[in-house]
Amino acid sequence: MNNEEIKADAKKIIDSFSEKLSKIKVPDKEPIIKRKEFERIDGNGKDCDNDFKKIMFENAPNKNSDFILAEKKKWE
Amino acid sequence: MGMTTLSKLQLYLAEIKRNDQHGKKINSFIHVRDEKELLKEASEIDKKIKSGRAGRLAGKIIAVKSNINVKGEIASCASKTLEDYKAPYDATVIEKIRNEDGLIIGMTNMDEFACGSSGETSAFGAIKNPRNLELIPGGSSSGSAASVAAGFCDMSLGSDTGGSIRNPASNCGIVGIKPTYSSVSRYGLIDLSMSFDQIGSLAKNVSDAGLLLDVIKGKDEKDSISEHSEKINFNEIEKIPKELTIGLLDFEIRDKRIQKIIQDKVGEIAKEHKWKIKNVKIENLDLAIETYYPIVYVEFFSATRRFDGRRYGKKIEDAGGPEILRRILGGSEISKAEYGGRYYHQALKIKDLIEKEFSNIFKSVDCIISATVPKLPHKLGTKISVREMYEYDALTSPSNLAGNCSISIPIDELTNIPIGLQITCDKFEEQKMLQIARAFEKFNE
Repeated sequence: MNNEEIKADAKKIIDSFSEKLSKIKVPDKEPIIKRKEFERIDGNGKDCDNDFKKIMFENAPNKNSDFILAEKKKWE
Repeated sequence: MGMTTLSKLQLYLAEIKRNDQHGKKINSFIHVRDEKELLKEASEIDKKIKSGRAGRLAGKIIAVKSNINVKGEIASCASKTLEDYKAPYDATVIEKIRNEDGLIIGMTNMDEFACGSSGETSAFGAIKNPRNLELIPGGSSSGSAASVAAGFCDMSLGSDTGGSIRNPASNCGIVGIKPTYSSVSRYGLIDLSMSFDQIGSLAKNVSDAGLLLDVIKGKDEKDSISEHSEKINFNEIEKIPKELTIGLLDFEIRDKRIQKIIQDKVGEIAKEHKWKIKNVKIENLDLAIETYYPIVYVEFFSATRRFDGRRYGKKIEDAGGPEILRRILGGSEISKAEYGGRYYHQALKIKDLIEKEFSNIFKSVDCIISATVPKLPHKLGTKISVREMYEYDALTSPSNLAGNCSISIPIDELTNIPIGLQITCDKFEEQKMLQIARAFEKFNE
């Protein structure tokens, strides 16, 4: 299957699910946000792991010594 | 005298060499850690044990699902997208395991990005069920379950979004726990669906699975939804509950033989311990799959936007398999503004209804019991429809929708295939859940 076919197939599945869900009467309100704390506590900080940057740069395909490089204007 | 960590590790490594890539070709590991490093760490743990200063997991050999960051190891999510991604840090659960002297042996195979219920969607090949090599092990924590069942390790970590720990645990004849949503930190877990994901434990018995769970749970400032929960009292879980009301789930499943096994077993144990049984019906439970998947599609689409090929090697749309693409492209489509929340928001509202229904039922019963998986696992490579694949989650996904804790324990066999019994308790009632599970385990011995 190509991407268009996969997308159509996925939409068909979800449409069939959605049709069933639409028959259920639910209060017309936004879903409740369950998080108790809305502000994240900063904590006391931790020493930086020196390997982190080294490993992250190893993972990136395009980089120079200081930056991970993204291609220019590829989205256009 | 018991085995040392070192001697046990050597036995496991030999068994992995014999039967994971060769022999039975279980294919449960994507990567086993460097042998020299492992042997050195095992010796250090043994020294700690000898000196009486070892942690609670000393002597335990633990495998980790490949969607959890273990510093320096490849966390590929069984995808070509991340096949070279080396984790730059430890997930919180890994830090906790290390602090208690657990020995991590390697990274397990899984359904690609945890998108699957069979163990067949891995880019590194399908995983076999050690209990019957022709069958799927279930998924998505397939390798985590298979590695324990095959005798390659003592316990393992998996992740459970709609049943991904309990389903393979059931098919492979081992114990698997999905903890209460928010009780285990997700920091360092490569997410599938943020509303449901939980890291949990798999082991050969309830006590080991409970021990690993007790080590990894707890509030973590790095996961803003994580919450504190009480420590498990392991003496208490050995006591048979004196007064108990079991909620036996009234829900028709495809394989009536599985339903009968569960009903009979519950009847027998209730008679033995004078427990009450109450049939419980959960409204909208038949819509669990229909509610679960639209949420997963949208959240997975959102979660994978970072795999654009810049920081981690390959773009997911170029490297992912068909199920990955189905969820990404489907999620992208149904989250479009033009649909005005028809899919995602409606599903979230029904999720809320199901959660409330569970809360009401837990006012009159201590636990809800059902089969873990509604049908027997299929043969590896059999073509089944997407809908049939999603049906494997019919009895496990409701617990994720409600955020409860659940455990699957092996209860019987059908044509030599293990059958799992699922016990679900209210949020943060892991202690009670383990106590009931131990009672079943003892009854079955």
